[in-house]
Amino acid sequence: MMSYEFELESAALTGLAPWHGVPREVAKAPVPSDAARPAQGASIRTEGLSKSYGERAVLHDVNLQIAPGEFVAIVGRSGCGKSTLLRLIAGLEPADKGVIRFDGGARATHSDEIRLMFQDARLLPWKRVLDNVALGLDPRRGDVRERARDALAQVGLADRANDWPAVLSGGQRQRVALARALVHAPRLLLLDEPLGALDALTRIEMQRLIESLWQRHRFTALLVTHDVAEAVALADRVLLIESHQVALDERVNLARPRSHGQSGFAQHEQRILERVLNQPDIRRVA
Amino acid sequence: MSTTSASRSERAARWRNRLLPALLPVLILVAWELASRSGRLSNRVLPEPWAVVKAFWVLAVSGEMWRHVATSTWRALSGFALGGSLALGLGLLTGSLRSAETLLDSTLQMLRNIPPLALIPLVILWFGIDESAKLFLVSLGVFFPIYINTFHGIRSVDKGLIEMARSYGLAGWPLYRHVILPGALPAILVGVRFSLGFMWVILIVAETISAQAGIGYMTMNAREFLQTDVVLVGILLYALLGKLADLLSKGLERWWLRWHPGYQPAYQPAAKAA
Repeated sequence: MMSYEFELESAALTGLAPWHGVPREVAKAPVPSDAARPAQGASIRTEGLSKSYGERAVLHDVNLQIAPGEFVAIVGRSGCGKSTLLRLIAGLEPADKGVIRFDGGARATHSDEIRLMFQDARLLPWKRVLDNVALGLDPRRGDVRERARDALAQVGLADRANDWPAVLSGGQRQRVALARALVHAPRLLLLDEPLGALDALTRIEMQRLIESLWQRHRFTALLVTHDVAEAVALADRVLLIESHQVALDERVNLARPRSHGQSGFAQHEQRILERVLNQPDIRRVA
Repeated sequence: MSTTSASRSERAARWRNRLLPALLPVLILVAWELASRSGRLSNRVLPEPWAVVKAFWVLAVSGEMWRHVATSTWRALSGFALGGSLALGLGLLTGSLRSAETLLDSTLQMLRNIPPLALIPLVILWFGIDESAKLFLVSLGVFFPIYINTFHGIRSVDKGLIEMARSYGLAGWPLYRHVILPGALPAILVGVRFSLGFMWVILIVAETISAQAGIGYMTMNAREFLQTDVVLVGILLYALLGKLADLLSKGLERWWLRWHPGYQPAYQPAAKAA
């Protein structure tokens, strides 16, 4: 593993041309017209998105198209830029080049329709659970607490409304963070490895919860994960980021809820894993 | 049977733990009283404890003590309010704005290295020996602990929380009120506790140098007449007031930081082990 990463780095440093595993057109889908825009999920398109930190390029000319209400997972080796892509779309960092379209328009005007879940829950420890969920809601509206209570109930934590975050378990904290995102009725939910720090059982529970809430609210979901099985379990499409670009776009048409024993699940997982592990870049250097 | 005897021995242990710390002070008091009564300890060095108690009673009944206590407390609190609010304001400013930091911080850090008590000759020249001199010294003494801790408190607020809050639409005053200020509060309260300790030290020195009233004046006056018992009453009063201020700030911490794992009984390691 270590040597792979090293070689990948050195390939990037010596300026080898990035490998195009998939023609760029594959990542594109027809753009929905404004009239046909559904009420819930938003469509996202990136055009020529590039980002580098100093000399080190992270993303180069990324073009992708996400349909309204679609669940897309982004996988890749650590440091491949998958989290950076999410942070660009979230507006936490500016892109060097390229644009992000939200329903065909500018992303910046839709900030309040995008919500982000971080790897750590990032709850405010000095606010009780209910007030954490209500964070960012306009307090002048009278129904803030009811909405927060409703969101907490949806993640199964209605009875913990008056607790301090410090007494919750890691899984419960992430559920509160999920409720905090849902209370804004986002049209795009960005998930930055939110389950990475949880134990295996809690992860499966959270995956099911996220899937059921996604099916209920029909928002567009973009999940960054290092776990290929998780990506296959949840996503309509799995994107692989490699050599600064989208290198694989795998559609997963399995019935939900999915399980590892399901026919086709293992094949998808295997194909993506193979692709991650046998990078042509590495073969070429080796 | 076994459980009741266990709980009984547990209770006995708890009482022992409660009483044991008091053992040494009580022994010292007894030895002191005996030494005074036998004449080995001169009254001019230390009065017997009983004489101190009597002096305390006399001063309390005559109302003289309360007048001095009120004067000293007023000085302490007004100095604390003035210096503390200035420190809080400047600390919030330099902590939040880089430009304010570059403008002010190095100057303030330089001034911090001057002990406030070293300024006494200057202060007497500037203000004479009236109230404003004491107010100035106390304000100066409480300023720096609060300033430095406020500054660092603001700077050490979790950047991840700020990023999260921004992405949830918080900016400006709401961001400050819900995220930055509460995040800095533990550090600010540490500064408050430090400065409360400083407050009394500075006040004691200021009052013993020049005053017309106050606990320091009372003790200095008593010294003139060799009333060591009254001097000791003054010292005891300072100790009690200092303890009171500490308890108050502890209470503030317990209330304002009740979200903090360190202030939640369930999360204390001892309770976990049990």
